[in-house]
Amino acid sequence: MMHQKMTAITALEHSVEIKAVSKTFGSFHAVNNVSLPIRTGEFVTLLGPSGCGKTTLLNMVAGFIDPSAGAIHIGGVDVTDVPVHLRDTGMVFQSYALFPHMNVFDNVAFGLRQRKFSKSEVTHKVMQTIEMMKLSGMEGRRISQLSGGQQQRVALARAIAIQPKVLLLDEPLSALDKSLRAQMQVELIEMHRNTGLTTIFVTHDQGEALSLSDRIVVMNRGQIQQVAEPIDLYRNPANGFVASFIGEINALPAAIYQASDREISLAIGNIRMTAPRRAEWQFGQGEMVQAFVRPEHIRIATSADAGCNVVTGEVLTHIYQGSHTITRLRVDGLGPIEMRLPGGDVVGRVPVGMPTQIAFDLSQVILLADKSS
Amino acid sequence: MTRQRPFFVQFLVPAVLVAVIFAAAMFNVLKYSFLEFVPGSLNVGGFTLENFTRINRPIYYWVLLDTFILSFATAFFALLLSYPISFALVRAERNWVRSVLVVLAITPLFTGEIVRTYSWMLVLGSDGVVNTALKSLGIIDRSVPIMYTRVGVVIALVQFAMPVMIILLATAISQINRDCEKAAANLGATPNTVFWWVTIPLTLPGILSGFVVVFAWTMSAFSTPQLIGGGKVLMISNVVYLQGFSSFNLPFAAVLSLVALVAALGSLALMKLLTARLEQNMATS
Repeated sequence: MMHQKMTAITALEHSVEIKAVSKTFGSFHAVNNVSLPIRTGEFVTLLGPSGCGKTTLLNMVAGFIDPSAGAIHIGGVDVTDVPVHLRDTGMVFQSYALFPHMNVFDNVAFGLRQRKFSKSEVTHKVMQTIEMMKLSGMEGRRISQLSGGQQQRVALARAIAIQPKVLLLDEPLSALDKSLRAQMQVELIEMHRNTGLTTIFVTHDQGEALSLSDRIVVMNRGQIQQVAEPIDLYRNPANGFVASFIGEINALPAAIYQASDREISLAIGNIRMTAPRRAEWQFGQGEMVQAFVRPEHIRIATSADAGCNVVTGEVLTHIYQGSHTITRLRVDGLGPIEMRLPGGDVVGRVPVGMPTQIAFDLSQVILLADKSS
Repeated sequence: MTRQRPFFVQFLVPAVLVAVIFAAAMFNVLKYSFLEFVPGSLNVGGFTLENFTRINRPIYYWVLLDTFILSFATAFFALLLSYPISFALVRAERNWVRSVLVVLAITPLFTGEIVRTYSWMLVLGSDGVVNTALKSLGIIDRSVPIMYTRVGVVIALVQFAMPVMIILLATAISQINRDCEKAAANLGATPNTVFWWVTIPLTLPGILSGFVVVFAWTMSAFSTPQLIGGGKVLMISNVVYLQGFSSFNLPFAAVLSLVALVAALGSLALMKLLTARLEQNMATS
């Protein structure tokens, strides 16, 4: 099925194109000049804090909100002025928005019936989708008789049954409890693999974004901050906002002390640290930068570190999480630092209040020009 | 916990007082229905079942049927006219439109029933606004009788019932999950399909409760059919009045009241059964 679908639309490289789209509400710029081509079959996530414009952007693709400027193309056609019901998108709402007066079958069949399929075609497609979403045997159930996870699957089934040109997911997992959410993430990945549908997923949960997406679009204040694949986004955030929004990170104000071809040395407060030089760094000596270090790249120093990139910190708190422990330390001249170590040994080894030597692994440090200075 | 209960008892006093007095009145009605009518006297005789056999006459069946039909028609037309107003009231984008609609919809509640009925007499009379307008437009030559007809009574009753209907419908419309309508549109439904297949079914509980309330309310209508019907349109309350206060046959008036009460309660129970089933199906977890 997937193979047929792919060949039918391979001619089109981008199934959705957002072209210089803006939306203003009064003087508020909800979405500000956003351009984003989305490849056919791609799973793209719009990620950002609440109010960043991601939901507004999704609603503009669906047609619920008219852009103030710019154009939206779906399947190669300009749909900016096309009403919602003719856009051929499939949306899953945060509230699921299932029809409470219809059973599971009729909910899934709704879109197909609008498309005037014959009765047997509708039945065939509905049963196929219901089977794929593991809802077999529940066709006759009322929506009120379903659990949250089942309702979620019906909402997905209803949207994919019509094989839309693009699937739009508006924080569909946020209403589920944690274990169910993890399970639904796996099912979303499987659904995407089975259908090959171009998918736009909106979330404020960076964990969901990292685990589900082909590409992540990080948004803030109505603008795109960065578009990248998950691993690239985590390792090479484009700016301070992305660095601190994706995962935990320690932001350290630093100055370039010395730069050679192989190494760069930083002055962080009165502490000197050395990092391997990256080709893209074009910093001059004395320039102010922000150095970003992930908690998992800090560890308790050993003799092997030989004092390199080692500082002394005092443990403030341990946050034991089972598989790992987050330890907050105070380092003179650096402020609070978060360190992440596997397991829980550190809790006993370094009690709260005890000074300890910690080592920074700067092989993956992120340096960004400090715009504030 | 039980220690705190006596504190709440004082709040029950007004309700209990009303209930006791009401029950006493109802009991008296019941008692009168079993007592003998003494013509020419307000006093009643001994125990008899004759009052109940007397009701078994076509004229009373017709009055009861008429009352049903007029109540049903009133509820139906009130619903038809109120739904668009309620819809606009809830969905209007501009605040001032909503405010104007609320004021227009609700103010009739604050004018008395008699005042409103007399106003309708001015509008519906043979020299009233409606007939004058139709005549000056050349649509009719002679006045069309609206006063003292069922149509006239229903028109006045509908207007009387609309504020309550509008409030009930507006509540139902404002409570539906609008994402359902958006989802339907997203799945390819035209605005028309969305309205008939999603909006209307989702507001069905409100539609039914509005219908039931207006129906039951109209069953006991008195002054509107009395004044606009002018004795030519009789609803059950008017017959009760005629028996009790023109013929002074209080026992038979009591029987008619009981019949009206049972009929009203019976139809309410029937509709309640219907709505309960519906609401059970519509409930989302």
